[in-house]
Amino acid sequence: MRPFALNYARPAQQLEVSVPYAYDSRLQLNVLPDGRLAAHDYAVLRDLGATTSTAGSKTHFDD
Amino acid sequence: MTVLILTCEQDVTADMVVAELDGSGVPVVRLDPADLPGPVALSGEYVHGAFRGHLSAGGRMVSMSGLRSVWVRRPGVPATRAAEPSDWLSEETSQALYGMLRSTDARWMNHPDAARRARHKPWQLRLAQRSRLPVPATLITTFPQAARDFADRFPDLVVKPVSGAHPQEPPRAVPTSRVAPDADFSAVAYGPTLLQRRVAKRADIRMTCVGDRIHAARKAVGPDADPDEVDVRFATSDTTWLPVEPPPRVAAGVRTYLREAGLAYGAFDFAEDGDGTWWFLECNQSGQFGFVQIESGQPVARSVADWLAAPGPDPVPSNGGRAWLLEGH
Repeated sequence: MRPFALNYARPAQQLEVSVPYAYDSRLQLNVLPDGRLAAHDYAVLRDLGATTSTAGSKTHFDD
Repeated sequence: MTVLILTCEQDVTADMVVAELDGSGVPVVRLDPADLPGPVALSGEYVHGAFRGHLSAGGRMVSMSGLRSVWVRRPGVPATRAAEPSDWLSEETSQALYGMLRSTDARWMNHPDAARRARHKPWQLRLAQRSRLPVPATLITTFPQAARDFADRFPDLVVKPVSGAHPQEPPRAVPTSRVAPDADFSAVAYGPTLLQRRVAKRADIRMTCVGDRIHAARKAVGPDADPDEVDVRFATSDTTWLPVEPPPRVAAGVRTYLREAGLAYGAFDFAEDGDGTWWFLECNQSGQFGFVQIESGQPVARSVADWLAAPGPDPVPSNGGRAWLLEGH
């Protein structure tokens, strides 16, 4: 009784990754340990895939 | 006038826009509805013919009448981080928050009603057709025989979820996948199945549209790419997203699409075939854009910030004092 599309399912990517930045509620921005804004460090964002189009999200499927 | 951003704390793509707004001196309040009630609080009253409401988050207080725009980016489900969460509390909180925000004159990116409709991929396909965008032949069916007949007419097919959602128990992803030539379509009867003619693509196109601004980026399919790797989200590739000028007809088509859909923002996916035709695949009303900006250098966050910061409608004059006088009579 498995729908046809699920014949092509694969394990979801593990999305819970450790990030080197933390949210600063005063700035309303994520900040790196050295105080720089995470959004300005493209190398970090690229490495983490934090801004990419992803699949398998529990809450958001508009990627 | 303040920009309200509804998103989770981990959303670094939203950070890109917050930083732009900060740099322009535009007031911003950022909150996650999951934190309401608790770190986020609200109050609103409908008295004497007027509505007044306030939101507070992170030590900031903003009047509902002081909102110029609302960006629904990656909000959590309301009240899911409350002390005693429940479906009932989430619904109560959702009604209170979004009901009050709907009571304002703020501009939305995107309005919840438009966003909800725009998530329906079958509706997207029809709107794309009406917007004169090329759409690959597509079938959505629960009839196995219809699927077999479609496969006879279009032997090279892909299958993808109708909703774009992925099953969670257990967590799995369902990428757009090439259908085997000898596929057994019997299981089509067990769930609506979206089959689409495979576009033999030479590039993926992402068009990120913000208001009237279009940022088109192109990612070439590598010469060694596996033709069975259809879904760009799962394919491994050494090529990068680069800026590209959209064909005028496609640009006109996406503008028509957004206008008809009532969307201020849309991330369109196209497949470019060997003839250079851009085939519409889908429009994600809240699609990611950070990766496009990082790789292509296109200032998408600046465009989003500009749209959110643009002057809104004239604020409704306060009639509070007058209302009190009327009350006194």
